[in-house]
Amino acid sequence: MSAGGVVSLSRRSISNTLRQPQMWVPSMAFPLIFTALNTGAMGRATRLPGFPAESFLDFAVATAVVQGVLFGATAGGSDMAVDIQDGFFDRLVSSPVSRPTIVLARLAGAAVLGAVQSLVFMAILTAFGAQVRGGAPAVLTIVAVAMLLAMAIGGLSVAIALKTGSSEVVQAAFPVFFISLFTSSAFFPRELMSGWFKTVASVNPLSFMIESVRALIIGGFHVGDAMRALAIVAALAGVSLLLSLRALRSRLAAG
Amino acid sequence: MSKPAGAASPRAANVEVRGLVRRFGSITAVDGVDLDVAEGEVFGFLGPNGAGKSTMVRMLVTLLRPSAGAARVAGYDVVKEAAKVRRVIGVALQDAALDPLMTGRELLRLQATLHGIPRGHVEARGGELLERVGLTAAADRRVGTYSGGMRRRLDLAMALIHEPAVLFLDEPTTGLDPMSRISLWEEVRRLNIDHGTTVFLTTQYLEEADELAQRVAIIDRGRIVREGPPAELKAQVGEPTLQVVVPEGDLERAAEVLRHFGEPAPARPDSLAVHLAGGAAGLAAVVRALDERGVQPVSMELTAPSLDDVFVEATGRRLEGAQADPAVPAP
Ligand SMILES: Nc1ncnc2c1ncn2[C@@H]1O[C@H](COP(=O)(O)OP(=O)(O)O)[C@@H](O)[C@H]1O
Ligand SMILES: [Mg+2]
Repeated sequence: MSAGGVVSLSRRSISNTLRQPQMWVPSMAFPLIFTALNTGAMGRATRLPGFPAESFLDFAVATAVVQGVLFGATAGGSDMAVDIQDGFFDRLVSSPVSRPTIVLARLAGAAVLGAVQSLVFMAILTAFGAQVRGGAPAVLTIVAVAMLLAMAIGGLSVAIALKTGSSEVVQAAFPVFFISLFTSSAFFPRELMSGWFKTVASVNPLSFMIESVRALIIGGFHVGDAMRALAIVAALAGVSLLLSLRALRSRLAAG
Repeated sequence: MSKPAGAASPRAANVEVRGLVRRFGSITAVDGVDLDVAEGEVFGFLGPNGAGKSTMVRMLVTLLRPSAGAARVAGYDVVKEAAKVRRVIGVALQDAALDPLMTGRELLRLQATLHGIPRGHVEARGGELLERVGLTAAADRRVGTYSGGMRRRLDLAMALIHEPAVLFLDEPTTGLDPMSRISLWEEVRRLNIDHGTTVFLTTQYLEEADELAQRVAIIDRGRIVREGPPAELKAQVGEPTLQVVVPEGDLERAAEVLRHFGEPAPARPDSLAVHLAGGAAGLAAVVRALDERGVQPVSMELTAPSLDDVFVEATGRRLEGAQADPAVPAP
């Protein structure tokens, strides 16, 4: 595997996403709009007994970061599918660059964008009064979580792209990611849920990751929370990486 | 430039294909092909749409696995030594897949890195190639704004970035206007003459094979039906064809005369054609004989056999507009 290959291909992946505003503007804008609307509408929810934060905005930082990354990281998969449809993938595969590099570069590109995105969200929300009480260690942890989450989501969408070769199918998988977010405690604390919704949120790994990230923001930096958040996304990213490499192998074997 | 990065010890830049087969389900796209392309040769792979040309190229450039048989490029087996093959070949596939969001210069830079060209050389090499294919002025524009001809030239430049020993071009001029076509021909010729690059080129165009290739193989329905230098293939088809247009009333008499000079050939309704047995030298005798019978030809035209005639002779169909197999649905 050549380092030069990974770097150039990741750079291409990043700049192609940035050159298609429809690929990143929604994932930047929607979480912020959502946050603004929710903070307005649900500000008083913080007074409910059991609500974990004093300010709804503090509560919403983790939501915005995770939602944004979830939204944005599928760009890698769509672009990969377009490469397959256009034949650019064949160009890469007939060059001497090692094949896993092609997939790893996509994930690296997604990770870089995820890092930037999380920093931008934290900066904007802090400017509006949110506080990351865990300070610099919490910010670094959150950036790392965002990168791993981007790799997890990016890896899944790349796997779908490699399996199907269709950007439509990659985009069709998008709601699945969103349902998994909506059925977690991303938008509302589990303490205040009830019934089946609480049951689903309690088995959704995203809930635990988000709650740990949120704890770093609301309650200050605790190694345990940081480790838990990182472990969950690292596991998701690992599974996703395996799936995408397997999809790559089966696509190449079919040739 | 020196040898391509990572190239092995010098070996013949040739292509050897033995019994190569590729099936897609019930379709046999390439059906037992044997061929040899010598080092430094421009080899034309000529055939109609659907004949199996792209399938052949994709196997040779390691994108498709053969169903049976074997092929070596520059001495490396395309299946067992695929990674080595990829290092010595340049590839421009049929659809010139280029990223429309990137600029020409960026694409060349990327391709250079993929081929392991040292960083210090990347810019110079890219600039040199852009110059060579006449894209310097457009180098920093996104490829999405390029014309078809510009895309092909960029694709060619990308295929050449590492000075490949063997260059594969799959229908490099299909869909191009005549000017762009000729400029691409010139570039291929220059490459072959100045750099000794071996070129494996597929085409549906007879003139292209005739113009560029030192040897051609004609493929039809996955099989090689003729192979050799264009001049030899045309000579094998035999005599030149004489077309004679005569007034309607004279058709029968003229036919009777022409029968003595060779086998009849297909002709338009108002004319007659004959494969002139004595070659061009027999023309004077035909004119005299027609005159003796009082036939006044409206026009006469002598045509040497073309590669199309070679194709007709081999397959019973004309190449222009021919489809490989009407029973096979379009992909
Ligand atoms: N991936 C594929 N799956 C199924 N059939 C294919 C595939 N690729 C090519 N074919 C079939 O193989 C035959 C040869 O195709 P191709 O090699 O593309 O011809 P050419 O390049 O000469 O036009 C055609 O009948 C085509 O439909
Ligand atoms: Mg083709």
